Amino acid sequence: MARAAHPGSMSPSKPGRTRTAPPSMPPQFPTSGRYLSYTLFGMTGILYLLAGFVALRVVWALGDGPAAWQGIQQQLANPLYVLFHLLSLVAVVFVGVRFFSLFPKAQPAKIGPAKPPPAPVLTAMLYGAWIGVAGGLALVLAGGIF
Amino acid sequence: MSEVTKTFVVTRFDPDKDEAPRQQSFEVPVQPDWKVLDGLNYIKDEIDGTLSHRWSCRMAVCGSCGMMVNGKPSLTCKDPLSSYGDTVEVAPLSNFPIVRDLVIEMDGFMEKFKAVKPWIMTAKEKAVEEGTNRQSPEELEYFKQFSLCINCMLCYSACPVVGNEPDFLGPAAIALGHRYNMDSRDEGSALRNEIFRGEGTVFACSYANECSEVCPKHVDPAAAVNQSKINAVIDWATSFVVPRGGAK
Repeated sequence: MARAAHPGSMSPSKPGRTRTAPPSMPPQFPTSGRYLSYTLFGMTGILYLLAGFVALRVVWALGDGPAAWQGIQQQLANPLYVLFHLLSLVAVVFVGVRFFSLFPKAQPAKIGPAKPPPAPVLTAMLYGAWIGVAGGLALVLAGGIF
Repeated sequence: MSEVTKTFVVTRFDPDKDEAPRQQSFEVPVQPDWKVLDGLNYIKDEIDGTLSHRWSCRMAVCGSCGMMVNGKPSLTCKDPLSSYGDTVEVAPLSNFPIVRDLVIEMDGFMEKFKAVKPWIMTAKEKAVEEGTNRQSPEELEYFKQFSLCINCMLCYSACPVVGNEPDFLGPAAIALGHRYNMDSRDEGSALRNEIFRGEGTVFACSYANECSEVCPKHVDPAAAVNQSKINAVIDWATSFVVPRGGAK
């Protein structure tokens, strides 16, 4: 059974003379078919919010001195935190791949005389930038740079 | 040709009798080459003449026969019955108020359509003596895809934003506005972009992409909506440095 849509969905500004039945959402929304991907895409926001709080905690601990920093390092080694970070990684990859697949067609056909490059080139540029930034950051974190 | 019987589970709603939509089953002997619309027409002609549904051209051009078939928006004159099992569930388009049986209320859609000013606007009407408005094939290519829309409203019934935000202009209307913005003969893009920057327009879209997935003419309204977002922002930014011309 489909969920009810907003009662005003696609209604005219002045109601007609005939009584109408209220609109309903597409039956597959929000957890079946292609809607599942869209719903999961939206729900990744919860993980990003939580990851933001964790990052704030870490920065806070950094300001509280070496003992606090050691404490937070130990906490982050907890398997639950490791699982959370793995889930966050999956969410980032999922959103990235979804965004990169939809990005090319969202580009204007032209801006003044300039036209965007072909879609495969745009996609390759996005993945190239992603891999480059991720690789660079990994090198920094591993102590390879600085 | 051999016949098979399929069960059509059709949504019925009589505004004079029914409190809410209900379902009714019909056994329909179908031919192998039939479309979903043929099955509905058989019910109307042979079983129950009170069934109400819209259709016209039977060749996926008029956009009248859009319905939900097994939960998905579909142009019933184009959708072969052979792609479904023994049971075919037909319902009116989602996200629309239901007038009767499979007929939905279209007036809200027409209002949204008008809101994007879907016509060529010029600052000054060209005199007949000045000749025609010429357009190159390359200029046509910029908007041709978006002009193929047949107003079947499948995109509206697939869009999760339409069902939750009644003010949202929706995919087809925005695609049509974008079509005119991309037309080299048009000078009304500043006005349309101002509309697009308003509440419930292009920025209400969260890019589910369902509109493009269900579009029977491959118009790709999601591309139009998201291109319009960028164009509306560029138009807003350039309005501070470039004097505005065009139609008002």
